[in-house]
Amino acid sequence: MSIRSAAAAAVSMVLAITLAGCAASVDSAPVVFVSAPGADITLTQAAEVALATRYTRSLPQGSKWRKTGTVPQGSVYRPIDTVFTIEGRNVHEAYLVISAQRQLVGFYLPGESRLSPLLAPIPLSYKELP
Amino acid sequence: MKRRFALAALISTAALFAGCASGPKYAEMSKSIPPLKADQGRIYFFRSGSMVGAAVQPEIRLNGTVVGASKPGGFFYVDRPAGNYVAATATETEKTLSFALAAGETKYVRSSPSIGLLVGRIVLELEDPKKGQDEVETLSFTDGLPAK
Repeated sequence: MSIRSAAAAAVSMVLAITLAGCAASVDSAPVVFVSAPGADITLTQAAEVALATRYTRSLPQGSKWRKTGTVPQGSVYRPIDTVFTIEGRNVHEAYLVISAQRQLVGFYLPGESRLSPLLAPIPLSYKELP
Repeated sequence: MKRRFALAALISTAALFAGCASGPKYAEMSKSIPPLKADQGRIYFFRSGSMVGAAVQPEIRLNGTVVGASKPGGFFYVDRPAGNYVAATATETEKTLSFALAAGETKYVRSSPSIGLLVGRIVLELEDPKKGQDEVETLSFTDGLPAK
């Protein structure tokens, strides 16, 4: 193997390792958020969310969420007394976006005023808190 | 030979600890933390005392401005107006955390080392407020500024 081809192989390997080590960015788009505080909810069943970035997030049974507003895709709920983030190459604080059909359709990123949609909606079981 | 090895080990250890946070503990300085102004929120940045990746201590930027450094065993805080923020660290690559800060709110941002290609990376994550406060209380206050 010549020095040139050995160097090319080494560069390719480094590039491959670099790319393999890089997670995908969280896909998001600007969205209009309208503040509209509403009822608190609690999940009656846990849900697992697989993100397009290959990271996963768990929404535990019994977790509590407060309606803070709406986006065109649904109602926006932030966690009560805790924090929730989604992750790809970077980390983003995230609120749930729940459609009228009681499906999690994506995440509102409050630090960026953007929406990160899910590839496929996830049905959620929840009830309103008194 | 053994003495030289021991001396080298001692110097290495001293150098490692010299880079760790050495300020007062939270209990010793918490009374000097001022109350929040009505239109502001507070952000605590902290890092556990683990020696893993201890030599990697990048600056922490908040909306592009350096507010401190990620030091093992250390914490600092900044007060900022309510709004949207992006915290970032950069070693071989930049890692960011975006979040919203409300007036009167306190957020806790944990920095921790992760494996990089050539050097370690410092990842920023939001921590649960209770866990964040509990951990800050075990750490040393830094002035927030990176070592020169």
